[in-house]
Amino acid sequence: MAFNFNWSPLTADAGFYERARDLLTTALNKSPKPPIIVDDIFVTEFNLGSVPPDLEILEIGDLAEDRFRGIFKMCYSGDAFLTLATRVQANPLNTYISAKPSFTSPEPLTASSSLTIPLQITLSEIKLSAFIILVFSKQKGLTIVFRNDPLESLKVSSTFDSIQFVRDYLQKTIESKLRDLIMDELPAIIHRLSLQLWCPDQVPKEGEEAKEESDAAINPLATPPLDAVDAHGHRLDPVEISSLSLDGGPETQSLFSQKNLEKMDALANAHRTSSLITPNILEVVFRAWAGQSDKADATATPSASTPNLHRTSSYQGSAHTYTFSDNSSQASGHAPSRPTLVSMGSATTGLSLGSGRHSKAGRKKKMRVVNLRSNKTAASEPVSEVGSTSSQAGDSGSEAASTRTPMSEPVIPTTIREAPEDDLVASQTKVRFRPAADATPSPRASESSGSRAVPSVPVTAQPSRVASPQEHVYTRQPSMFPSSPVQQTSAQEMPPSYSSRASEKAEAAAPIYADAKAQQQQFQQQQQQQQQQQWGRAGPQPDMSSVILEQAWITKIAGEIARRVYDEKNRNPSFWEESHQHDIPPPAYEPR
Amino acid sequence: MREFMNYITNAFYGATGWNEDNKYNELNATSRELIDFPLPRGLRLTLSSLATPHFATSYQLGSVGVVDGSISYLHSSVPLTHIAAQSDKIPLPALLRCYRRLHDLRSPGQHYMLDDPLSGLPPPPQSAQALLGAVSDASNADGSLIGGKAGQDPSKFTHSLLYGRLYLPKSLLEGMIIKRFTQALQIQVRAVSEQSLRNGGTILGLVQYDKGKYGLEGLYSTDGGLLGFRGLYNFGGDASSSNCDPWTPAVGENSNHSSNGNGQGIEKERIYGRFSVGGELYYGTLNKSGGMSLGARFATLPAHRGTPLTATLTINPLMGNINATYALLAREYCSLATRVEFNVYSYESEWAVGMELWSNRRPAGFLLGASPSNDPEPEPQPPRKKERSFQAKMEWRLDDPEPEPEPTPKNETEKKKNDEYKGVLKARLDNNLRIGLLWEGRAKSLIFSLGTGIDLHKLGEPFRSLGLEVQYSS
Repeated sequence: MAFNFNWSPLTADAGFYERARDLLTTALNKSPKPPIIVDDIFVTEFNLGSVPPDLEILEIGDLAEDRFRGIFKMCYSGDAFLTLATRVQANPLNTYISAKPSFTSPEPLTASSSLTIPLQITLSEIKLSAFIILVFSKQKGLTIVFRNDPLESLKVSSTFDSIQFVRDYLQKTIESKLRDLIMDELPAIIHRLSLQLWCPDQVPKEGEEAKEESDAAINPLATPPLDAVDAHGHRLDPVEISSLSLDGGPETQSLFSQKNLEKMDALANAHRTSSLITPNILEVVFRAWAGQSDKADATATPSASTPNLHRTSSYQGSAHTYTFSDNSSQASGHAPSRPTLVSMGSATTGLSLGSGRHSKAGRKKKMRVVNLRSNKTAASEPVSEVGSTSSQAGDSGSEAASTRTPMSEPVIPTTIREAPEDDLVASQTKVRFRPAADATPSPRASESSGSRAVPSVPVTAQPSRVASPQEHVYTRQPSMFPSSPVQQTSAQEMPPSYSSRASEKAEAAAPIYADAKAQQQQFQQQQQQQQQQQWGRAGPQPDMSSVILEQAWITKIAGEIARRVYDEKNRNPSFWEESHQHDIPPPAYEPR
Repeated sequence: MREFMNYITNAFYGATGWNEDNKYNELNATSRELIDFPLPRGLRLTLSSLATPHFATSYQLGSVGVVDGSISYLHSSVPLTHIAAQSDKIPLPALLRCYRRLHDLRSPGQHYMLDDPLSGLPPPPQSAQALLGAVSDASNADGSLIGGKAGQDPSKFTHSLLYGRLYLPKSLLEGMIIKRFTQALQIQVRAVSEQSLRNGGTILGLVQYDKGKYGLEGLYSTDGGLLGFRGLYNFGGDASSSNCDPWTPAVGENSNHSSNGNGQGIEKERIYGRFSVGGELYYGTLNKSGGMSLGARFATLPAHRGTPLTATLTINPLMGNINATYALLAREYCSLATRVEFNVYSYESEWAVGMELWSNRRPAGFLLGASPSNDPEPEPQPPRKKERSFQAKMEWRLDDPEPEPEPTPKNETEKKKNDEYKGVLKARLDNNLRIGLLWEGRAKSLIFSLGTGIDLHKLGEPFRSLGLEVQYSS
């Protein structure tokens, strides 16, 4: 398996720089500026240079024509540069006065008169080194999250280079500003750009892009998967597959009713007026109601597949980011205990363009082949690895469960059955995940009635290579993911207490799917017990298993990353000094 | 419109005889009032009261998107009995800040209750004459007498003023203490406390020293450790003659002044005014930055018979900024001002013009075009007088002869009513083609202020801001 990366954005898209400049300009002017900057900041020059970054694939979690999920390590020391122009206030007294309350202002007569000086700043010799989590889906565009602070160093040259003090100040200020920009704004910009490219229905776009899109569209049904099965493991007819239609695009939009959008708009604008009326928006989960892990559940893709092959997707969540707690990895090297699962909007439409369009995603590549790592966590067989590691974990976990809890329920493990041919594993087989929100019956009722009474399904993912008859088999299943209204409503009615429980759940689930080590057995047993209680309360639902799988995958990835980070840190401690301050999950990016 | 507490503070200055204009940062106050008048934003209601002569309260409620408000209290150790605090009696020129003429350059104690329109014991003559600043001989003599008496009692000047204000949703607290020590020395301490500020707040201390001929001011701000020094020196006109020595006996001055009034008739035909020069210097001890400026002003004195005018020129040599203003009272109801700024380093220039138009018509007159003769008040009197009362008819007799109202006060009040200004229209225009319009006046016993900012560059939506302030005080 090989990837081609093109580092030639200039030739690919003539208007790229123009658009990137515009986006950067808006991004720079969005936040309130310090009083010393008296004008808008304009990006006058922007060039990505000709030297491509070094990319190393650490992990590929999901791979298909229309979606991609992976983790890269990127090192860059190229010739890209960026020139900004603005005007600054040169009178220190002016900025002093403007930032102070007028009541205690000394009220100078004209000593605070303004003197504005045009300033030009060039950023060059940018050195980056970052772990990038990249999630691409045809529907939701490209999402990039930086695992660490990517900026290693850069050179700032300005109009005032001759003045040492000013130069040092600018260097310091701009470095910190740029860190913020890269961590917060750049993912948003890339997301918006990718939306413009791939999801023209979500953004107002030009007609030529639409044409481009239709030209480039490849029918994935032309090469149907070898073992097409639906969610319940039933084999699908080729006839049935061919009846799947590609043009489900408008349908996806119908998930957001126009009325709801209008109401959202009214709600967002409500604080500007003195309107006391809060528009009632149906079938939504308000962010304020949902806790951290709740959000993830609510926004995860509902993938309950039904045989009628209805193609829709969930737009519940617009944020698809992973955030992993760095502290845990610091604390225990491996086996991170608690990944902050933000969201995992897995790509939902199975049918879409070929992977050739990945080159537009903002990762600018030249034709080069990236060597995949050959150690045990090699990305070449992600799925099997998921299977093997988590089966270890699952084994130990279920062992623990059986020993510690005498009344253990029948174990119905949910596994991923791999494709018959091993060489198809990476390219065609895909793990389907299902959100935990599926499994939200009224927790209060089950609590009161006694959790043990309900036969529970220990949802330890116990994938094995042998497909047993009772296993739910999830293989690649294009376009079979209708949004389940049940799930949405259940998520909506979720009581606030659920969030804590959900986070507990995540906590509980975490160590099990990490590379479990023998010395953690004790801890795991407790966790397992807890988990069983949780699920006993939650009640059995066939759909919930995929949620666990999803969480398992994320936890595993988190563990992997944490381990790598730890290793990397051990190797090169100085570089990782500052990177632990950025644990705040990045903001959600709404498509505009 | 000035805030009520500001007005009261100025009344305190007037009552204690402090000349607040004799400092450097009031050098171009006239053109500043005419050009940089603040525009109201949103809706703002103020209820104020001078409850006792020593104590004033003010409550404010505003809405600019969000509702906010403030509560303020003020205590003055000197009774403020001589001012009109009721909103139907407040002299509008004092509240709305018209063209400011110069005070006579006496020592602070001596122009105590002299020609300040706020401080005269009889209600200030709200006439065009008062606006012009022509001081009648009588009040002149009066003032000198009072000043003479006051000068001999130093304890009279140790007054103080306390002021506090709490902005409610922001929890911003303002406090001010003004303490007068001697005739010439006054200390002000202002403080603001708010959570968002560094160190939770700032304190500004001001030491003001006014000797009539010159005024000095030193300041220290805890924010950045800013030290400042300002000074103003007056010469020419009345300041150059010997009578401006503040501590000369009042009698001598009085005679001198009267001789001025008679003998300088020819001189007053020429331009007759006072020069002031000054400078300011600031240094932030913590952030090691500073600033300075120099300035000069020529302003005609009230005794000048021609068109009153004020011209200032200030230079900031560090930043290369030159600022020139010119303001004049073209008619007794119309003032004009211009300002030009130029920066010799960056070649940036700015200009702005401002205008102030007073009207003694009713506030609605601006809109309806009603002339003052349309005032309905004098009408109902005569017909009523002719009819016999019902009781008289029942008793088969004529009405009792009514006592004739004295003609002189009626004439005076009517004349005063006509002379009294009821509204003002202020306008400004700057080089960004931004227009500011402000219409202030009195409707019944409410003082209102209606303002808008218009941007001519964006004709699609020209109104940048719109605001209405209503103030009632008792």
